Amino acid sequence: MKYESQGIAKMYFIAAIGLFLGQILFGVTMGLQYVMGDFLFPEIPFNVARMVHTNLLIVWLLFGFMGSAYYLVPEEAERELFAPWLAKLMFWIFLVAGALTILGYLLVPYARLAELTMNDLLPTMGREFLEQPTITKIGIVIVALAFIFNIGMTILQGRKTVINLVLLTGLVGLAVFFLFSFYNPDNIVLDKYFWWFVVHLWVEGVWELIMASLLAYVLIKVTGVDREVIEKWLYIIIAMALISGLIGTGHHFFWIGTPGYWQWLGSIFSALEPIPFFMMTLFAFNVVNKRRRDHPNKAAVLWALGTAVMAFLGAGVWGFLHTLAPVNYYTHGTQITAAHGHMAFYGAYVMVVLTMISYSMPLMRGKKAANETAQKLEIRAFWMMTLSMVAITLLLTGAGIMQVYLQRYSEDAMPFMAVQDELVNFYWLREIAGFTFLAGLLLYIYSFFAKGREVADVE
Amino acid sequence: MKTDRSQMKRASNAALFSLLNLTVFPVISFVALLFMYLKTEPNTIDRYYVALGIKTNVFAGVALIVMTTLMIVLGGFDSPWTWVFVVSYFVFIHALFILFATWALINAFMDR
Repeated sequence: MKYESQGIAKMYFIAAIGLFLGQILFGVTMGLQYVMGDFLFPEIPFNVARMVHTNLLIVWLLFGFMGSAYYLVPEEAERELFAPWLAKLMFWIFLVAGALTILGYLLVPYARLAELTMNDLLPTMGREFLEQPTITKIGIVIVALAFIFNIGMTILQGRKTVINLVLLTGLVGLAVFFLFSFYNPDNIVLDKYFWWFVVHLWVEGVWELIMASLLAYVLIKVTGVDREVIEKWLYIIIAMALISGLIGTGHHFFWIGTPGYWQWLGSIFSALEPIPFFMMTLFAFNVVNKRRRDHPNKAAVLWALGTAVMAFLGAGVWGFLHTLAPVNYYTHGTQITAAHGHMAFYGAYVMVVLTMISYSMPLMRGKKAANETAQKLEIRAFWMMTLSMVAITLLLTGAGIMQVYLQRYSEDAMPFMAVQDELVNFYWLREIAGFTFLAGLLLYIYSFFAKGREVADVE
Repeated sequence: MKTDRSQMKRASNAALFSLLNLTVFPVISFVALLFMYLKTEPNTIDRYYVALGIKTNVFAGVALIVMTTLMIVLGGFDSPWTWVFVVSYFVFIHALFILFATWALINAFMDR
């Protein structure tokens, strides 16, 4: 670690991993509720568990992105962070606000939470993923602005590289697009437009910039490949991500009361969306093949390659699977969407944050790489979590195809809940895969505490 | 194995055609691979990549077309379970072949 202020990332990463564990615990709880409808009812109803599962995902990924930025930016800018105290203050504000919001979801009925937080003054609650009370949303904006100010000033006063500028663009985009969550029109169709301007333009727009820059940074560090080579790749990847992803928002506008031209725009542009993910796979393998050194942190290299492959599969392939309008006519909002959502979030964003943690955590603990035992455990955890996620995705895909067939395609179509009964075997198997994922995550956490022989520092 | 620049270029093209056959230009790219095979000599890097591309795509053809046809014939066109297996299998295995072809392309670009 070259700069002392990079160490601030550690607290963000620890919080991220803690919240990640919480997210998975609620995930397996929900998985059980799919097959045992009364499990933990009325203490934790399904809708609340789902809200906590998805909100924790977003919050811990934001912690992960912020931690990654605090680690990456000082080194790229070749100077200390502009205001380390501000980063620490914002960490506690964000953590406390996040914890209070989750407790609010769990302890108070949602409608009462809306009343308590005075949602009627500026109504923003009640939309999937954006369920946070308005006051929490305002807190998120304040934290995001302080964070961007801190990161931005560090970059402006230091060295400007393609990596830190792409990262900054992504982070500014993240903050700007979140502002659409404050606009809540009465017209439900119009509301969906603005809702997707947050959700889609995050995950299939600006977050891809963040992901690409983090991946590029780690690959420079672990392979020693020339920055110029990596920067060229980065330009092309982000151009393709934005060209395809912005108008690709149209694939969310099918069948919800929007004009029919969105079926063409959404289909054509989102058919291009796998390209940046495919390029990321090419990029990662290319750079690792060209490596000038064998970095002692094998686990970080594995996470980096895994990110590229799994993002391609989850976001690229599974996205394309149901993105064309004639296919989506049948698959819209089925378990196929859930299959895509799981693998895409894991492959693209969970794994890139874990890549950054894997690379930077040993350095923040004063070592080049984790000891041999810790790396072995981490690599085992990588495979457990990744293969479990492949299994979850395949099982949800199977469930989704069955659902489409029985509920929408068959001439003798069955009602939604009757179809859910037919899918129960898929859901049981998915639950087993979910518990395997949880075991992998626990092993991953344990790997930070494992003792063993230190690795040789071969540069 | 003797190599020169033109052979390496042909090797990269072969790996690219292999990938294209699995993605946007099926059949045409495979025909191109077959023509390239005739232009290469044994024990050269370009022959290796052309042969790898042909083998990969033949395996992919068997794994994707033959296996899915078998699934449909044995499972029945009107059974939902047939489509559960066919679609999941096809998407996953197809993606793995694409990843393998990508890996081969990168190695060809690296002159390996």
